[in-house]
Amino acid sequence: MSYAYLFKYIIIGDTGVGKSCLLLQFTDKRFQPVHDLTIGVEFGARMISIDGKQIKLQIWDTAGQESFRSITRSYYRGAAGALLVYDITRRDTFNHLTTWLEDARQHSNSNMVIMLIGNKSDLEARRDVKKEEGEAFAREHGLIFMETSAKTAANVEEAFINTAKEIYQKIQDGVFDINNEANGIKIGPQHSPTNPNMPSGGGSAGQSGGCC
Amino acid sequence: MDYFRKYLSSQQGGVQPTGAETVERLCDRASSSTLLDDRRDAVRALKALSKKFRVEVGTRAMDILVRVLETDRSDAEITGYALDTLCHIMSDEVTEDDEDMPNVPSDLGAQFTEIFIKKTDNVTLLLSLLTEYDFHILWPTVRLLTVILTNKCKDVQDMILVSPMGVSKLMDLLSESREIIRNDALLLLIQLVKNNANIQKIVAFENAFERLLEIITQEGSSDGGIVVEDCLLLLLNLLRNNSSNQNFFRESSCIKYLTPFFDVDNIQQQSQGGWSAQKVTNIHLMLQLVRTLVSPNNPQQLTSTCQKNMHSSGLLQQLCAILMASGVPADVLTETINTVSEVIRGSQQNQEYFASVMAPSNPPRPAIVVLLMSMVNEKQPFSLRCAVLYCFQSFLYRNEVGQSQIVQTLLPTSVDANTISAGQLLCGGLFSPDSLSNWFAAVALLHAILGNSTQKEQLLRVQLATSLGNPPVTLLQQCCNILAQGGRFQTRIGLLMLLSTWLADSPIAVSHFLYNTSNVPYLISQVSASDVEENESLVHGLCAFLLGICVRFNDDQNETFTMTSLRQVIEKRIGLETFTDKLNQVPKHECYTKAIKNPHINYKQPSESVFDHEFTKLFKKLEGEVLNALSSSRDQSKKQIPSLKEHENIVTQYKDLIQEQDQQLQELRHQLEEMKVSHNTASSQLEKLGQQVQQLKDQNALLKAQKGSHADIRKDEEIKNLNEEIIGLKTQLAEKDSNIEKLKTAVAVLEVRVPAQDMSGEEDKENNPPSELEVLQTTMNRLNTDLYHVRVQLAERESLISTMETERNEALQQLEVLKETRESSAADTDLANQKIASLTANVTRLTEEKNSLQDRIKKSNEENLNLLDKIKKLEEDKDRLVGEKMDLHGELDTVKKEQEDLLVLLADQDSKIDKYKARLRELGQEVEDDDDDEELDDENIGDEGDADEEDN
Repeated sequence: MSYAYLFKYIIIGDTGVGKSCLLLQFTDKRFQPVHDLTIGVEFGARMISIDGKQIKLQIWDTAGQESFRSITRSYYRGAAGALLVYDITRRDTFNHLTTWLEDARQHSNSNMVIMLIGNKSDLEARRDVKKEEGEAFAREHGLIFMETSAKTAANVEEAFINTAKEIYQKIQDGVFDINNEANGIKIGPQHSPTNPNMPSGGGSAGQSGGCC
Repeated sequence: MDYFRKYLSSQQGGVQPTGAETVERLCDRASSSTLLDDRRDAVRALKALSKKFRVEVGTRAMDILVRVLETDRSDAEITGYALDTLCHIMSDEVTEDDEDMPNVPSDLGAQFTEIFIKKTDNVTLLLSLLTEYDFHILWPTVRLLTVILTNKCKDVQDMILVSPMGVSKLMDLLSESREIIRNDALLLLIQLVKNNANIQKIVAFENAFERLLEIITQEGSSDGGIVVEDCLLLLLNLLRNNSSNQNFFRESSCIKYLTPFFDVDNIQQQSQGGWSAQKVTNIHLMLQLVRTLVSPNNPQQLTSTCQKNMHSSGLLQQLCAILMASGVPADVLTETINTVSEVIRGSQQNQEYFASVMAPSNPPRPAIVVLLMSMVNEKQPFSLRCAVLYCFQSFLYRNEVGQSQIVQTLLPTSVDANTISAGQLLCGGLFSPDSLSNWFAAVALLHAILGNSTQKEQLLRVQLATSLGNPPVTLLQQCCNILAQGGRFQTRIGLLMLLSTWLADSPIAVSHFLYNTSNVPYLISQVSASDVEENESLVHGLCAFLLGICVRFNDDQNETFTMTSLRQVIEKRIGLETFTDKLNQVPKHECYTKAIKNPHINYKQPSESVFDHEFTKLFKKLEGEVLNALSSSRDQSKKQIPSLKEHENIVTQYKDLIQEQDQQLQELRHQLEEMKVSHNTASSQLEKLGQQVQQLKDQNALLKAQKGSHADIRKDEEIKNLNEEIIGLKTQLAEKDSNIEKLKTAVAVLEVRVPAQDMSGEEDKENNPPSELEVLQTTMNRLNTDLYHVRVQLAERESLISTMETERNEALQQLEVLKETRESSAADTDLANQKIASLTANVTRLTEEKNSLQDRIKKSNEENLNLLDKIKKLEEDKDRLVGEKMDLHGELDTVKKEQEDLLVLLADQDSKIDKYKARLRELGQEVEDDDDDEELDDENIGDEGDADEEDN
């Protein structure tokens, strides 16, 4: 399937916050309550559309465990977007955000769009981090913020798509150097502003699955 | 260079310092000299000596060289020398110099590397040098990293992995404009990604696939040089056993970039002058790359998506074109066949495409036929024949259509003598004098019937014409005959595998096999024979397996060899111990373990072709079953010999039972079916009846409405009129009553006056009658009686008057008498006259009264007559209304009757439904009880649904 742009994403955050589940929900539209620990990095892909443009998202889901930190660091540089995930029922995962953010800022390109995600919003009864706190943190560090639930799929699409919209906006504004593939952005083979084959529609979700 | 010359030449002299001393001195200089030039010269000299005196330089100079790298980094020259020197001492590559020093251990470089990487900082230092642009630094750094990675792969990989951006820095080298660095970086990356999935993934993440495919295209694709080869090696290293990367490769639409590699026109053009060795290597690697993506050992889903992509991107078409192209070197052709095999294996679409490929021969033949011709041709290279077999197997893998197509070509109806068919080739191969052809054909045929009972039965129909005049013989029997003739090892193994597969899971095939009485004795003789050599023991083992299958899948159709008798024969003639031993020989064999691992046929020489992968799987599956089928009698030992029969009996009992149950099941199903049908009709009837009832109700309602609109209203009006009339009548009656009352009073007055007129006037006229007409009638009656009474009274009064007249006459007579007496007495006469006068006054008054009374009676009589007329009219009206009412009642009655009939029908249906329900319950259906008809209908539909589900 041809695309106008290809964005590379990474998903980072403490172990057990639901990174792999977010990816699975986004790519396969399903939830797996018991998920194996991610070893190193796993790969997933999906096509979305923004402003009627097909955009391919290639997503690398990283292991949250400390022992894999050096491996996951290698993925920062080549990513255009990052989903920084914490668990709203575990304050420690929220407290570690600063470390994650420092790590990401240090190793990534400066334009990388970071979306802060408070996951497990379905577990309201066990909430340990207020939504306002997440919002405040995001405001303070210039991130986009959203609370999601990989279990109920609430806001999952939006999280991935809004990140893509932000990147897309940055491209439109000329902030990103789209010719440098090291930024995690690639122009598709069919990129042209007036492609008749391209479906025109709102900037909502496109087809699921990503076959080529 | 002075130092260099000096020390080298001094070595030749006897008193000159040894190499070690020289190295020592140079090290001192390199470490202690304050002048950069001096240090540079010293390091350059060390570099020069580092090949000849590896041990010395390595042991003494390593730390010094590392320090040079740290401190003198700004000087590209000395850094370059230091890196080169380190490279020399750690490289284990065989050079000419090494030959001079045979006492140097072969793993010296690895040892030095171990020392070097003990300090992790050293590796980090090297990685940091990658940021230098200077060629003198960058190039040797790349080479040095390659060397230490080659020597201590795992450790260095881990160090690079933890070093920030380590892998990324190395990946950037691929974009290096200086080709020599880029090319060496390729070698470095090949080492770097070896057996390390994490690094492989990071490298892939850094766009390695696209970058490498770009380089390959730039370098001329398959016609390119060693760089293309290196790129392909790196790609292979990234993809092999890494499903995440394979997935990413596919996701990144990279498969379509592989298609141009196999551009057949280009390949044929080049082939005029023969293929260069490099090109052969490149194509080989490209084919391997394709195979990596569709390997049977990959996850099924990944392989099948890749297979689809390879079809849609035209890759499979290109590969098939190579198959049919001329001038392709045999080994490339072989590998292409293997690749095509894996691209089509288990993929229906690709298998169909493959079946449709035609060879450009005259006449055109299917590619499959052309390939099979090679397989059964003993002049073809062994590896090519193996590849064709693999291709054939892959074509038939999970392909029932393909299987039937192949078997079809063997059947008598479809044999066309003019064309060569796959079946002909396979039969020719099966009975050719070349034992390897026998083996190939047997295995190929095995795959045509594998797991396909229909084709197993079809194959039983195959007849072979032997020599002229002899009757045709079945394929099955011919196989057995050749087996019995002895023949070579591979022939027999091939036939035994074919027969075992054929007979497995097919009692019909077993009974065909047992039909020829010589088959079992042959197998028995084989299994009971003592092993002479390894290969023979395999034949015996397979004979035991075949015999076991005859027991396991015996349906006792053959009287001579029933399951029981075969068991007894095996026990008596072979002994179960021996039998089990022989059977166990098979999986112990090296060829077996090799074959079961991988479907790919990877034999180096003809003698290795013994077992087929699918057969080993079948053997593994059935081995236990066969032993169980036999040992079920052994465990129970001899005393169980009668119980064998018992067992048989039990089995037959069970069989009978099962049959019975089957029948019952059938019957019940039938019943269920019937019930369903009747149920359906019943429910439809019910529905109809319901509709009828509804219609009737509607009609009823309509009628009512009509009546309400026409008759009723009229009737009401009439009744109203009647009521009004009745009221009028009533008032008239009241008037009459009052008249009567008046009359009565008059009568009473008369009564008072006339004592005979005492008539009772008591009447309860004031009561409101329950039925107006009745009341009217009664009142009429009363009035009549009253009238009658009045008349009687009148008559009485008249009689009274007449008596009174007679009395007057008497009185007049008396008066005459009195006059006469008056005459006698005048005084008396006067008195009498007075009396008479008063009497006459009385009489006149009475007559006056009588006259007035008579008038009154006359009047009331007239009124009565009027009333009577009116009543008559009312009665007539009433009669008419009653008639109408009767008609309406009649209609109502008929409707009611119809309703009652319907209710009876409904009740009947209800009871029927109850019966059906009960029956359904007996049949194990869940039926809910419901009183409501509509719900019942719903219920019925639900039941049918359930029943359907059960049927499914």
